[in-house]
Amino acid sequence: MSFGRPPSINVGFKTSPPDRGSFPLDHDGECKEQMMEYMACLRKNSSESTPCRIMSKQYLDCRMTKGLMERDEWRNLGLANLEGDSAKPTRTSS
Amino acid sequence: MSFKLCVSHLKVGRAPQLIARYYPDAFLPCRSLGRSLHTVNSIHILTRLSKSSYSWSPSHSPLSRNMVTNSQPRTPLNAKSRSPPYASRQSLYAARNRNMLMYSSAVIIFAVGVTYAAVPLYRMFCAATGFAGTPNVGTGRFEPGRLVPVDGARRIKVHFNADRAEALPWAFTPQQKFVTVLPGETSLAFYKAKNESKKDIIGIATYNVTPDRIAPYFSKVECFCFEEQKLLAGEEVDMPLLFFIDKDILDDPACRGIDDVVLSYTFFRARRNAQGHLEPDASDKDVQQSLGFGDYEMAPRAEIRNAQSGKS
Repeated sequence: MSFGRPPSINVGFKTSPPDRGSFPLDHDGECKEQMMEYMACLRKNSSESTPCRIMSKQYLDCRMTKGLMERDEWRNLGLANLEGDSAKPTRTSS
Repeated sequence: MSFKLCVSHLKVGRAPQLIARYYPDAFLPCRSLGRSLHTVNSIHILTRLSKSSYSWSPSHSPLSRNMVTNSQPRTPLNAKSRSPPYASRQSLYAARNRNMLMYSSAVIIFAVGVTYAAVPLYRMFCAATGFAGTPNVGTGRFEPGRLVPVDGARRIKVHFNADRAEALPWAFTPQQKFVTVLPGETSLAFYKAKNESKKDIIGIATYNVTPDRIAPYFSKVECFCFEEQKLLAGEEVDMPLLFFIDKDILDDPACRGIDDVVLSYTFFRARRNAQGHLEPDASDKDVQQSLGFGDYEMAPRAEIRNAQSGKS
């Protein structure tokens, strides 16, 4: 792909960019714990995503707190109303 | 006769004396200047003259019309008593000028107000319509209503693959081999990248999804592709990726048999092109291959086309 190329037929097939752009790099490993928890949960549940959504929510929450991600409502990220949510207090605006 | 009238104009010492000099023939040209002092003056003069029994045939000049229509009391022409038509005409003009002033100042203020209001209005318009490339975040495919998992639907296994260009001395691997997801469910995945060289390197990643049929349904909320990622020498970093498979895939008959999807990322070294934008430091062929267009024939880029046509 030539970045910034004018539109053509092939542009119709192009892979679309992410909605919110790019995650800032976590150079200092500030959210590494949450990431390890998430990976452990995945391994335990044979890589099914549904049981581990709480962990992913915590990871993103960590990113938001540390300023590595723009804070947003959970429903905009598809992580609202998870089971087991009420067990963990989260300081989010959902 | 009319010359004499014009001369009497001079005598009276009004402004139109110059005009009377150049147009000695009656007051026709004087009058043709319209709603002017000349006419008014001429009326005064005529009334005065008629008073002094100067024979003046009404049929001689169209001024008679004026005389008839503007029947004025015979007042002596001195500075003290200005006759009403003169005053009212001036006040008429004054009123008209005031109106004009009001209108023009209203238009000016309105125009200034519109230019001030244009900035937020334009922003709202762009946000609503996505005009001029304004990114639409959280709309369309990424509406909150679409990011809800479809319970009970079949699970799709997403495999992760990582590649890197030869010129990039990084170790780039996925941290999980696959994840099984429900349609509509946002899931997190991680890649790990380590800069094994002794210099800071900027990398840029492209991605590709296989099979091609699923590409319209595979959406990423946030990832680490298409933008420069700078890794310091020897640094290792975890790169997350938040994605989901749109639930419309369940309605698509072409995607009925899809159970496995491969998501492949390729990291390239970044370089700046002629326009100053970062792009992958690899041949077009390699970049297109990483995007899954390796089997497609691509037209040469405009810069190359123009350079060749310039040479030939």
